Amino acid sequence: MSRRDDEIQEEIAAHLALAIADKMARGATRAEAERAARAEFGNVTHVAEVTREVRRGVWLERLGQDLRYGWRALRRTPAFTAVATATLALAIGANSAVFTVVNSVLLAPLPFRDPARLYVVSYLPTNLPFEVPPGLDDRLYLEYASHVKRFERVTGYQRQELTLSGAGDATRLPGALVSASFFEVLGVQPALGRAFTHEEDQAGNDRVAILSDRLWRSRFNSDQSILGKTIVLDGITRTIVGVMARGFTFPAASDVWTPLALRLDPRNSFIFPVIGRLRADATPEQARSELEGIALGRPQDPRSAEPRSAARIIPLKDTVVGKTRTSLLVLAGAVLFVLLIACANVANLLLIRAATRRHEMAVRVALGASRGRIARQLLTESVLIALIGGAVGILVAFIGVRALLAMAPAGRIPRIDEVHLDGWVLAFTLAVSLVTGILFGLVPARSGARREPQEALGQGTRLVGGPHHRLRSVFVTAEIALALILLTGAGLMIKSFLLMRSLNTGYDATGVVTMSVNLPSIAYPDAGRIQAFHTALVERLARIPGATRVGAVSFRPMEEVGIMGDFWVEGATPFPHGFSVDKPTVSPGYFAALGIRMLEGRDFTPIDRAGAPGVVVVSEAVAHRLWPNERAVGKRISMQEPPGPNDWLTVIGVVNDVVQDAQLVPHSTIYLPYLQTNTPFFMSQMTFVVRPASGAGQIAPAMQAALRDIDPSVPAQDLRTMDASMMDTIAEPVFQMRLLATFAFLALLLAALGTYGVLAYDVTERTREIGLRMALGATPGTVLRMVLGRTAVLALLGAALGVAGSLALTSVLTKSLFEVKPTDPLTLVAVTVVLLLAALVAGYLPAQRAAGVRALTTLLLHE
Amino acid sequence: MPTDSHGLSRIELLQGTLDLIILQTLRWGPRHGYGIAQMIRASSHDVLQVDTGSLYPALHRLERQGWIAADWSTSENKQRVRVYTLTAKGQKQLERERSQWEQLSRAIGAILAPPASAERES
Repeated sequence: MSRRDDEIQEEIAAHLALAIADKMARGATRAEAERAARAEFGNVTHVAEVTREVRRGVWLERLGQDLRYGWRALRRTPAFTAVATATLALAIGANSAVFTVVNSVLLAPLPFRDPARLYVVSYLPTNLPFEVPPGLDDRLYLEYASHVKRFERVTGYQRQELTLSGAGDATRLPGALVSASFFEVLGVQPALGRAFTHEEDQAGNDRVAILSDRLWRSRFNSDQSILGKTIVLDGITRTIVGVMARGFTFPAASDVWTPLALRLDPRNSFIFPVIGRLRADATPEQARSELEGIALGRPQDPRSAEPRSAARIIPLKDTVVGKTRTSLLVLAGAVLFVLLIACANVANLLLIRAATRRHEMAVRVALGASRGRIARQLLTESVLIALIGGAVGILVAFIGVRALLAMAPAGRIPRIDEVHLDGWVLAFTLAVSLVTGILFGLVPARSGARREPQEALGQGTRLVGGPHHRLRSVFVTAEIALALILLTGAGLMIKSFLLMRSLNTGYDATGVVTMSVNLPSIAYPDAGRIQAFHTALVERLARIPGATRVGAVSFRPMEEVGIMGDFWVEGATPFPHGFSVDKPTVSPGYFAALGIRMLEGRDFTPIDRAGAPGVVVVSEAVAHRLWPNERAVGKRISMQEPPGPNDWLTVIGVVNDVVQDAQLVPHSTIYLPYLQTNTPFFMSQMTFVVRPASGAGQIAPAMQAALRDIDPSVPAQDLRTMDASMMDTIAEPVFQMRLLATFAFLALLLAALGTYGVLAYDVTERTREIGLRMALGATPGTVLRMVLGRTAVLALLGAALGVAGSLALTSVLTKSLFEVKPTDPLTLVAVTVVLLLAALVAGYLPAQRAAGVRALTTLLLHE
Repeated sequence: MPTDSHGLSRIELLQGTLDLIILQTLRWGPRHGYGIAQMIRASSHDVLQVDTGSLYPALHRLERQGWIAADWSTSENKQRVRVYTLTAKGQKQLERERSQWEQLSRAIGAILAPPASAERES
């Protein structure tokens, strides 16, 4: 509009300039010429105004007319309007709901100051046997933090869980250890109090804490005078120095922050994530080569045999969003398919409606409406439908987002607390509605306007087939194809889920309940006290009525953490290169409690304690790998490098392999007896496993009571069944499966409705023809077969296209599938059968009606 | 200084007529708004003077209807001007309007100058 205004102004200026030049050429002075030209021209503002109105008025006036007319037309056909808008509301709403999540998780900037300049810094060996999150080791971090130039500042942190005691019941809190510069680098400030000082970031001065707004409100009643008060975290009394602003919970869902206060350990290094704020004039590549320079410039650690490390500078957002990106994009794609199917459906409805409005349109053409005007009118109607659908869709999205969040596995989708409907979602919905309206309205509008008036005005003319007939078939075929692709995706996920559920995990989860404890180092500083606690708790748990077997393990299957590593084998047996085993610490009876079978040898007993000969139990895979043709029992290994004479551990038993984590593959494991372990680190976190007798009822409360008996200051964590832990481990694919299944079901329903609608209309349109056939001797059976045959042709064509589409597209699911190929033929066959059946059901009703057509009546009725 | 005071009163144009005149003017080639106004004046021997408040809205309306097309170019004395061209559609429209006009003017002419016989009969 304003460009147009400028043009009009310029045109008028040009007119005046030309007039002045003319008059001056004929001898007038400039002043005279200007005055005369202006007088001749008249009121410049007025001319500009009326000219502008020409441009604007026509457009607006026609739009207003079209809208009014469209609205009246829609109200005349309430059934059509209701079905079309409901279809669109569902599809647009589903899209807006998914977009809401995608926008908040993937698109929205992180809620920090200038988040695009925040990067995660990593320098780690590239050939580790397992995946490690990016990070720096403590020595490199200190070196790097004092030399880095490309980053304004860097900061390290480490997620942790802490036990809060002293304020109500003891609970576990998610939190983080952070460098003093943490809040400054992110560009956030405490709402109350202050961030940590550099003095507090030194070991010994670090007994301070900062709380989240959420914790401050829920646990401390929004106490305004909380600064300077103390809390007890993991048995350590800390002074509260700050409360963060509402909504700040980074990293993950932290509720409490304490200083990182690095203590260097001469034997071990500690690796943690490091974030830097890039200088405005630096590039990530410069930062990367600087990091490499600093890392390589250090004196080499002689013990380190890992020369191959990679320096990486990763945008912070990428590490926060992580793997969620792919699954969210898959969902966005799936829900887009639903929208396309809805579009095809509504387009078909419009085509059918256009056919019934032939007469109306013909009259308008005959009265002088141009084709373009009619096309625009029809398009306005379809956009109007889409806009109404979109408006209702916002409501659907509102409910949909809540359902999505309720379904989402806890703690698996990053930034989930930031998910909300906002202006972007509204804008998205509006844009989608407009595009949808144009998309499904375009074809009916074009073909509606093309109709010749004579054809439609001629009374009683019944055309069989024709361009609409073909178009409708194309839309139905496309719908079926799209629905089949979604069904295949859902089918693959369901099959994968069933395989996961029937997976032989190596343990027997039936009824088993587990409870974890984390013993604070203040109260449990040494191995002796920790072992005493474990022994006492195992004994106490065994006395619970209904508990048949009890055991303890440092990390159970389906837990997110674990300890892995290599070891030393006695004798000539070469240690397999790159072989790495799980090293859990267990109590006697653990195998029986979890239903892990002893294949050879014996379980640990209380005799296997400090001072007695060192023993281990290995899993089948370890035995096969190390001693393929020999008995494993009696062989010796060591966890020390190189082993001294007293460091050898004798294999006393072999158990079956157990699935340990979300990869769902059996692990090679070496079990160590907790009574022979002297490192608190391997035991302070312990999970207790109780197998109840069948029909023992709720055993969890008794387990919690048992823990209180032993030490009331230690909270029970993760008190749950083993089966729930398994479900939690596969929560992400299950979430994806549920959503895909929902969308696929919606797609199937829409496609079936679409097929039904088109066939039903076909039958209505062909009633006379069918009646004629009947009169000429066709039986209801032939007519039924004829309509069903047409259904089958459409469905088969759609299915063929859908199978081709599935083969091309389902590879995006590869990472979410367990032991199922994205091209699994069985799944493809199964979903094709389901779809064909649905199509035939949809076609059966109209077919039956066609078969019921009575020969004579139709002929009479229509003449 | 040239003068247009010939003592003749200027005639106000009906909307339809202005369209016809503009289209007709553009038959001789592309022209800017000022040029069109001058041309109309000159070819009507200064009888018709187009009011700019009618000319420019008419030009933009005709452009919207697709009968004329507009483009910016530079005039002989380096002035950036919006130049209008007659389109094929406009050409047809011109012919239609011309024939309508001819019918109309014949009809009016007939009314204003009736043959003596007709007068007698009525």
